[in-house]
Amino acid sequence: MTALALRQDGPGTSAVPGPRRRLLGLAVALALLAVLLVLSVMIGSTSIAPSVVWDALFHSSSGIDEFAIRDYRLPRTIVGLVVGVALGLSGALIQALTRNPLADPGILGVHAGASFAVTVAVGLLGVRDVQGYMWFAFAGALIVTLMVLALGSTRQGSSPVVLVLAGVCIGAVLGGAREALQLTNPEAFDAMRYWNAGSVVGRPLDVVWPILPFFAVALVLAFAASGPLNAMALGDELAAAQGVQLVRTRALSVLALTLLAGGATAIAGPIGFVGLMVPHVARWIVGPDQRWIFAYSILLAPSLLLVSDILGRIVMRPSEIPVGIVTAFVGAPVLIALARRKKASGL
Amino acid sequence: MSADSPRVDFGHRVLVLRRRRFAVRLDRRSVIVCAVLAAAVACMAVLALMTGSYHLSAAQVVSALAGGESELIHAIVVEWRLPRVAAAVVFGAALGVSGAVFQSLLRNPLADPGIIGFSQGSYTGALIVILVVNGTYLQLVGGALLGGMATAVAVYMLAYRRGVQGFRLIIVGIGVSALLGSLNTWLMIKADLDQAMAAAAWGAGSLYGVSWSQVLVGGACVLVFLLLAGMLSRPLRQMELGDDAAASQGIRVSPVRLGLIVVGVALTATVTAASGPIAFISLVAPQIGRRLARTAGITLAPAAFVGALVCLAADYLAQHVAPTPLPVGIVTVVLGGGYLGYLLFTEARRRL
Amino acid sequence: MTTTPLRRRGAALVAALLSTTLVLTACGSDGDDADDTGDPTAQTRTVQADNGTIEVPADPQRVATIGNTTLPFIDLGGEPIGVTEESATNVARLPEDQQATYASAKILATSADEVDLEELATLKPDLILVQIPDAEFEAIEKQLELIAPTVFFGLDAEWKALADGIADAGNVADALSQQKKEFGDKVAKIQETYGEVIDGTSFVDISRGDFNDPGTFYIADIGCSEIARDEVGLDLPEAAEGADPLAYESLSFEQIGELSKYEVITYPVDAEGQPTEPFVPVVESNTWKALDAVKSGRALGVFCPGNNSYGAAIRYLDSLDSALATLPAEE
Repeated sequence: MTALALRQDGPGTSAVPGPRRRLLGLAVALALLAVLLVLSVMIGSTSIAPSVVWDALFHSSSGIDEFAIRDYRLPRTIVGLVVGVALGLSGALIQALTRNPLADPGILGVHAGASFAVTVAVGLLGVRDVQGYMWFAFAGALIVTLMVLALGSTRQGSSPVVLVLAGVCIGAVLGGAREALQLTNPEAFDAMRYWNAGSVVGRPLDVVWPILPFFAVALVLAFAASGPLNAMALGDELAAAQGVQLVRTRALSVLALTLLAGGATAIAGPIGFVGLMVPHVARWIVGPDQRWIFAYSILLAPSLLLVSDILGRIVMRPSEIPVGIVTAFVGAPVLIALARRKKASGL
Repeated sequence: MSADSPRVDFGHRVLVLRRRRFAVRLDRRSVIVCAVLAAAVACMAVLALMTGSYHLSAAQVVSALAGGESELIHAIVVEWRLPRVAAAVVFGAALGVSGAVFQSLLRNPLADPGIIGFSQGSYTGALIVILVVNGTYLQLVGGALLGGMATAVAVYMLAYRRGVQGFRLIIVGIGVSALLGSLNTWLMIKADLDQAMAAAAWGAGSLYGVSWSQVLVGGACVLVFLLLAGMLSRPLRQMELGDDAAASQGIRVSPVRLGLIVVGVALTATVTAASGPIAFISLVAPQIGRRLARTAGITLAPAAFVGALVCLAADYLAQHVAPTPLPVGIVTVVLGGGYLGYLLFTEARRRL
Repeated sequence: MTTTPLRRRGAALVAALLSTTLVLTACGSDGDDADDTGDPTAQTRTVQADNGTIEVPADPQRVATIGNTTLPFIDLGGEPIGVTEESATNVARLPEDQQATYASAKILATSADEVDLEELATLKPDLILVQIPDAEFEAIEKQLELIAPTVFFGLDAEWKALADGIADAGNVADALSQQKKEFGDKVAKIQETYGEVIDGTSFVDISRGDFNDPGTFYIADIGCSEIARDEVGLDLPEAAEGADPLAYESLSFEQIGELSKYEVITYPVDAEGQPTEPFVPVVESNTWKALDAVKSGRALGVFCPGNNSYGAAIRYLDSLDSALATLPAEE
């Protein structure tokens, strides 16, 4: 789908589309997302007639199928939407912040922190359900990201390269400790096999509501930072000359992206690639303006996640493939094709 | 052992050409750093030979090395402990150089053969052998090498469009690696717990049960590739200044780049074949080596020595210090990552 | 050579071939015994195993078990001096005396990877029993054989064949024949008591493990219900030949509704009869509560203490027996 949207908008960075076309594109992306939301409720590993779906959503009937819609399909659709928005925006933020096209929210240690915390919760503390270990994941992601920032920052602020290296270091140390813990504790290993795949199944909505306020705050921060980030794309000195407060902008962006990526990982487990790929695609469609990149990422990322989740339900019926696995299969070919088509797209 | 061979043929010439006083000082430091590292490797090796859960006195170890002692004790020292030490040194050096080649080539501190999909590809190959075919050790090695090479070639071809350009190589590498990473996770989920754990243990990289035949064959390959890397190190340094600058000095950029990629991948492939993917040494050894030797760019010799030392020390910790024996790859990650973190930290403070 | 990944819960079909070889082996080995007088450890006999013909002590005293041989050997009354670690869940399900035996053995490795060979040599075992993947065994075969006679079973050795082999090599055949008899009696009793149910009812066994993603479960066609299907003869679903077991596919809770096509559902409970912890989310779901089988008392909790040895299988059959007794009569 993303590929289709792209082709309409043509050659990319060199010819930035005008505001009207960008708005039109945004409307198309919104419509696409709406269609996918409906499909996600309609399609599943069992076939349920549309009329039953309608009944389940708008009447309080109580057959097995109605329960299936209300208890499973609707929640996973909402989870997919929320997690997708968070991943897309956090990816756009980190790429803007580090000016590094390789940057993924995972690179700042979000995934490593969350995985490590969950392994400790599962392996040493015996926590078993998603409601229990989700807060460990959230806390782990936040703490580790702060550690990465502390390690990767100098008084003048943080150089993107050092930040990335710091993320890799801490991620590696925690990853090694986590692996050691898992290899010596078969049960923790077993429990983590699935969590590491990233999935939106079986997350009851009451694990999502408490995270939403964090996301709302992050959303506001991200758009507040988008203007200054635009200026910083031209270089720190130029931005400072235009009166941008570098330190404050960085702090706001980092706070926002940590909340977003940490929350998404807490809910769904580590889903890689969405945060890496979607902002690239958004940039290739709308050019370098961060506000537009943010807006497009917010719509395209949940679309990628929902498409992947729907595919994951039907390609191997009756069993399902976790969405974290499908996203790479859907997204990677698109990314490779784009990388071949475009001239080198630096930031 | 073999690790000191590359030291012979680089260093001064390139640097001397440019700024004499500066270059000489740097070079001396490099030599001293390498010598100190070599001494550390030797001490570590002796310590590793002496330690084990089967208690042997120093005298027993020496006499076993000289051919004395009972069959069991001789086997423990000469057939079990010694090849493991040798493997750690040789393979560590190979990984260090392999990483140095890639980081220098792509001018990116995060680059290693993993970036062109080699690691994920070889893991996929091994997983398929372990989980689907339930194959023998040789098949596993074959599967891993085939998977890694095929992926590397695929990434290279996908990134090839009138020449290979660094950034496109990286993006395509990320895409393909992500794809294979997902496939690997999927295979792990589908597998039975015990098999999945066996696969994960292989995937962590381990020198457990390594035999003399593996060390000798692997060591010979590593030696050849290290020599090739040494021969290509001069054009490599010139290419660090940019493709155009190198071309203007008479370097044929494309074939040299391909040759370097092949050498880098082959070094890692040899190690992967013998021990599974030992993570992270190729990433951190060049960075640590550069900071210790305070050279301007990535240089191969310090990377080789650091790689050998990290690998040997990590294996010692994994076997004897950890509460339960662990695959060395897990410890290299923690050790290397921790040390690089420390370097970054002190560097950041120095810059204040 | 071997094509299907099987371990511990191997498919019975494959094993039929192997058990034949092992029966032949068992016969062959008896003849080699020298006279029974004198120091028992000095006598040797030969056994046939997946790593060839092995000369083992006639009455091994210091046995080390690596991989999946630990629990079956303990179940046969063996007292290993060194073992590879078993998961806490597996250990907790053992009878208390077996737990004590396990606890008194030296742990040689967490799980079966990276067995501490020097530690093993320090223990001076006179027999080593191994069941691990072929590739792993290949890497340490020479080292093990230098320490003590090593009897290796490939992963596709089915549990009955494994029990035969272990009993033979470890010289605990008496305990085995007693367990076999008890097992046979138990199967016969269930078949006799519930003949009609077995013939005319469709069953399905479902389960959920820690390793399942939240919101998923699986149809357990391997594990304990394999015994119910292949030994007792219950009508339970089975994967197509050559395909992966159904249990490898995790199904989303949405699929719970599909279970209505079976008449009786069995699910995992602990020794006290409560649903196992990972299974609780299934029992609490609305779709589960709405199933006809659940509403009419035809969802049965069965305790599965392990399916890798006769002792555990007998305890499973006991639990199945009392579960079947609670089935409401058909109208």
